Amino acid sequence: MDWSYFIYFAAPALLCWIGGAWLAYRPSFSKGAVAWTVLGLTIFSAFIVGMWISLERPPLRTMGETRLWYSFFLPVAGVITYVRWRYKWILSFSTLLAFVFICVNLFKPEIHNKTLMPALQSPWFAPHVIVYMFSYAMLGAAALIAIYLLVRVRKKGIDEGMMSLCDNLVYVGMAFLTIGMLFGALWAKEAWGHYWNWDPKETWAAATWLGYLIYIHYRLRHRLRYSAALGLLVFSFILLQVCWVGVNYLPSAQGYSVHTYNMD
Amino acid sequence: MWKQPWGYAEGWAICIGLLITGFGLQRITGPVQAGLFQYPVNVAGGLIFLLVLCIGFVVSRKITVVQWFSGLTASITSLSALLSVVLVMGFVGPGIERITMSWPFVLLFLYFLFVLGFVTLKRIVSFRWRDVPFMLNHAGLFITLLAAILGNGDLRRLRMTVPLENPEWRASDEKNEMIELPLAIELRSFTIDEYPPKLMLIDNTTGKALPEKQPENILVEKTPLAGNLQGWKIEVTRSLPMAACVMGQDTVNFVEFHSEGATTALYVKARNEHTGRQKEGWVSCGSYIFPYISLQLDDAVSMVMPEREPKRFASDVMVYTKDKQTKEACIEVNKPLSIAGWKIYQLSYDETRGKWSRMSVFELVRDPWLPIVYTGILMMIAGAIGLFLSAPVKKE
Repeated sequence: MDWSYFIYFAAPALLCWIGGAWLAYRPSFSKGAVAWTVLGLTIFSAFIVGMWISLERPPLRTMGETRLWYSFFLPVAGVITYVRWRYKWILSFSTLLAFVFICVNLFKPEIHNKTLMPALQSPWFAPHVIVYMFSYAMLGAAALIAIYLLVRVRKKGIDEGMMSLCDNLVYVGMAFLTIGMLFGALWAKEAWGHYWNWDPKETWAAATWLGYLIYIHYRLRHRLRYSAALGLLVFSFILLQVCWVGVNYLPSAQGYSVHTYNMD
Repeated sequence: MWKQPWGYAEGWAICIGLLITGFGLQRITGPVQAGLFQYPVNVAGGLIFLLVLCIGFVVSRKITVVQWFSGLTASITSLSALLSVVLVMGFVGPGIERITMSWPFVLLFLYFLFVLGFVTLKRIVSFRWRDVPFMLNHAGLFITLLAAILGNGDLRRLRMTVPLENPEWRASDEKNEMIELPLAIELRSFTIDEYPPKLMLIDNTTGKALPEKQPENILVEKTPLAGNLQGWKIEVTRSLPMAACVMGQDTVNFVEFHSEGATTALYVKARNEHTGRQKEGWVSCGSYIFPYISLQLDDAVSMVMPEREPKRFASDVMVYTKDKQTKEACIEVNKPLSIAGWKIYQLSYDETRGKWSRMSVFELVRDPWLPIVYTGILMMIAGAIGLFLSAPVKKE
């Protein structure tokens, strides 16, 4: 299994997700929507498993590989939100986002090889990155909703229901963000001798974490100041992007961060 | 300002005041000396901090203004102040210790910890069962951070270079001072397992791998092997994982060589699909005794074998402790050895000799505060799970 087969898994998975998204618009809760989404996820995960086996390592090292997990977790986040809070549009939204990330992988493929440096060969590797990707999917969804509310809805008045959706996504995303960071700390102790080294990636992860903490506390303090809270949400997601992608390009991290693995 | 009830203005003023005080202290006393803050001074410091916290909390029942520190405004302002310093650190990069060991950072950090402790105490006093995730998150973070900064002075990170078959018991610290340890390490053998060799094309004039930005390569896992690189049909007919280079007048040949300094060589035939040009010969990544050999395909490009990527570094060691314990172990990256309160990590080796290194470099770490830090971390993990489970704020 390699990237040339990706389209044969991604396309049917997307069709299933679109089917699920469409069924979710039915007046009452649709088990079909859940079933189609889960079927799509199964097809998509078959590709991930195939990659894992043929690469002889978890497909988590390069940006392309993390995008793969991201497009997997967006529908996961969507279906959880749908089952738990019954938002009809959430599956369309997560499918659209997954579609974007699948397209990036289809049109901008990366060269992949089997090598995985010793520092990454650890039982912590997969849980650390997978938990983070799930969290990024949740927080990414929250950020896009925030931008939508700020740009399109603000003048008409934002309703509390949408705000509590943002809160829910942030709480779930933040739970996973915290677990990902703490797994990282436990792993760092085994790999580098200390649980926190203020490596650029760690510094930005701390900034991201603090950003979302401010959002959570601000929402508790000022329940009705929607715009400022949403602004904080977007700001925190920018920090997250610097941590995820930006660190690879940031001058302050070049040739210094132990987290820049994909810049061979 | 400073009239009850306090709000954001007071919160920002406290943070800015601490920042200015920090800069002042920095000018007068220089950076914070973590070395002075060792056991038992750090334990005393921690107890004083907890005492101040408790007294502050008791006082807050009488002096209501102190209650502000357990409120959301204090949390938000102290979080924001900490975030601003962390952002500065994010843009600074190398030499970040100068900031983490500076007075402004330490003061803001302690203030944040104080507010966090205050908030936690308030909840402990009025504990209800549904506060469990809250307690795990806040108390967990408080314990982690407090133990982490107090433990910083007791943290020892030493570097030990061990040659083959000569037990070593001295290590050097950050200031390159030699320290004698209560344990000795004997290196029995050092090995590097490598991934299969790779072939790639480079531009003859720039020396850059092709195509630029996203170089392609062929991983030669088995021979014979056929592949394609940039319009060249590549055939690998022979592979010598342990080889010696034999140079003639104008010929280069490789023969099997199972001894120190051996390199990897591949015999490659290449044919350009457009021009029909053919070329064959040996390609090798070289070693500390044998040269690196590339194969020039035409005026524009050459075929090269980059250095083989390491799959595993491992040191077989025997460790002796002062109380007559001995332990045989294999230390690898990600698999440190724990013995007598120390953790021993594979750090480096003689890079000029590569896989034929005759020494291994270890990092030895001692952190007696680790169990407390881990207690806090485990509480936070449990708290995060609680946060996930208790997230549903009902849809309106």
